[in-house]
Amino acid sequence: MLKMPHLQKILASFALAFLLLVTACSPSPPSRFEQAQQESTQPKVTAVSPEAKAGGEFNRFFPQSKDVVFSQEKRGFAQAKLKQDGKEMATLSIVDLNDNSAAIAKYEDSLETVGGYPVVEVGSTGTGLLIDNRFQVKVLSRDPDFSSSDRRLWLEKFDLAGLGNMAVATGEENE
Amino acid sequence: MSKTIYELVDDLPERNLTIFALNSLDFVIPGQWQNLTGFENTIREITGETDEAIIQQIGDRAVWLYNDKSQGYQQALWLYQTIDRAGSALGSAALANKVGEKIPLLGFLNRLTPKADRAQTLDLSLKLVVEIVAYCRINGIPGDSIGDFVAALVDNYTGPSLMRMSALVCFDGLIPLGTNFLSQVETTLNNLSPKALEDNESYQRIHDSIPGNSTTGKLEFINRSFESVQGWMGDLVRDRDLTAEKVADRLSSFIDFSEGKLDYLAAFLDVSTNYYEHTGIQTLARSLIERAVAEI
Repeated sequence: MLKMPHLQKILASFALAFLLLVTACSPSPPSRFEQAQQESTQPKVTAVSPEAKAGGEFNRFFPQSKDVVFSQEKRGFAQAKLKQDGKEMATLSIVDLNDNSAAIAKYEDSLETVGGYPVVEVGSTGTGLLIDNRFQVKVLSRDPDFSSSDRRLWLEKFDLAGLGNMAVATGEENE
Repeated sequence: MSKTIYELVDDLPERNLTIFALNSLDFVIPGQWQNLTGFENTIREITGETDEAIIQQIGDRAVWLYNDKSQGYQQALWLYQTIDRAGSALGSAALANKVGEKIPLLGFLNRLTPKADRAQTLDLSLKLVVEIVAYCRINGIPGDSIGDFVAALVDNYTGPSLMRMSALVCFDGLIPLGTNFLSQVETTLNNLSPKALEDNESYQRIHDSIPGNSTTGKLEFINRSFESVQGWMGDLVRDRDLTAEKVADRLSSFIDFSEGKLDYLAAFLDVSTNYYEHTGIQTLARSLIERAVAEI
C-alpha cells in the first residue's frame, strides 16, 4: 500500500498536468463582438430594413459646399467628407433609422436642440440630430481641431426643414 | 466556415513579404499608409473614439452590416481575394522562413514564369475593374452625377486604397511593362477580342461580377474603367518621376536579384504577395466602420 504523502505527490502532479493540459488547449477568449456575430447570422435577419429610403434621396439635403465630397451611398445611408485644404476635417451623414429603436432612444434625454430638433453628443467625437424619430443627421470630427461647436455649426448647414418634410411625407405613406 | 469581419482584420499580418513590398513604396506616397491591423485598433484609429461603450456599439453595428449579404461587403472581399489568387504557386509556406533575410531570386527562377506582355496588361486592367466594382459594392455610387462618382472614387484613394493603387502602378505596371505601361494597356484593350478576353484566367474567375450583359459589354466596362483612372495613374508616375528601376531599387533591400530580370521580379511579386487582399480588407474595414459610427 502506498503511503499517504506519496499518494499526495502523485495526485498533485496529476492535478498539475491536468491543469496545464486544460489551459493549453482552451480556446482564446471569445471576442467582445461574438454576440453581434451570432445574432446577425441567424436566418432571415438583416442589418438594413428594405423599407429604408435609398441613400441617394438624402444627397440634396447635405450642406452645399465645394468642401463636401460624397463618399458613401447605401440603402438608408448617405455620407460625405468635409475637406478643408485637402485635409479631412469631419464626416457628415444622414441615416434612415427606420427600425433602429436603440439609436432613436438615445435622444430621449436630449436637452438641446438645433433648428428645433433634438441633438445629443455621441461618444467623444460625434454630434447627432434626430428628425421626427426617423432620420439621424450626424457630424463626426476627424481632426482634433474640429470641435463640438464646429459640429453643431455644420449640423445647421443641412437642409433640416427639407428632411423634416420628407419624414412627414414618409410617415403619411406608411399610414 | 468563413471568417468574421473582426477575425479578418485581427488576422492581418504585421510582417510578411506583402508588408515588406508595400513598405518599400513609402517613397511613392510618403507616410500615407500604415499597416493598420486589429479590429478594435482600427475602430479607434479611424474614429478617434475612446469611449468603450461607443466602440462596442460601432463594432457590433459593423458586424451586422458585414453579415447582411445584400450590403455587398462580402462580395467586395471575395473580389479582392479572387483577383489576388490568380497564381500562388509559391505559397507562403515556401517563403515563411525567408522573412527577415534577403531572398535570392535566383533560387526561384525555375518556379517562375514571367507573363507575356498582353497577359500582364490584361491582368492590370482586370485588377482595376476589381477596384472599381469592389468600390461600388462597398460605398455604393455616391453623389448624383458621373462627376460626383469619379470625384468620390479618386478621393477614396487615401490610406490602404491609395497604397493598393500605387502598388498596382508599380508592381503590375512599371516593373513588368516599363514606364510606358499605360499606352501598352490602352493598345491591348483597343485590340482585344471578346474571345481573347474569355481565354484569360483572371477574367474567367471574376466575369460574373463585371457589369455588362455579354463579353463585349464587359469589355466595354473594362475599357471605361481604365479610362476613368488612366489620368490619375499617369499623374502619379509623372509627379513622382517613377521608373521600374527606382521601384526595383527599393525592393532590393529584401530581394536579391540581378538587373535585367525585372520580368522575373514581377512574376515573383505576383506569386508571393497578396497586396490586393491585404489592403482590400483594410479598405473594407474603414468604410464599414465609418458607416457603422454614423448609424449608431
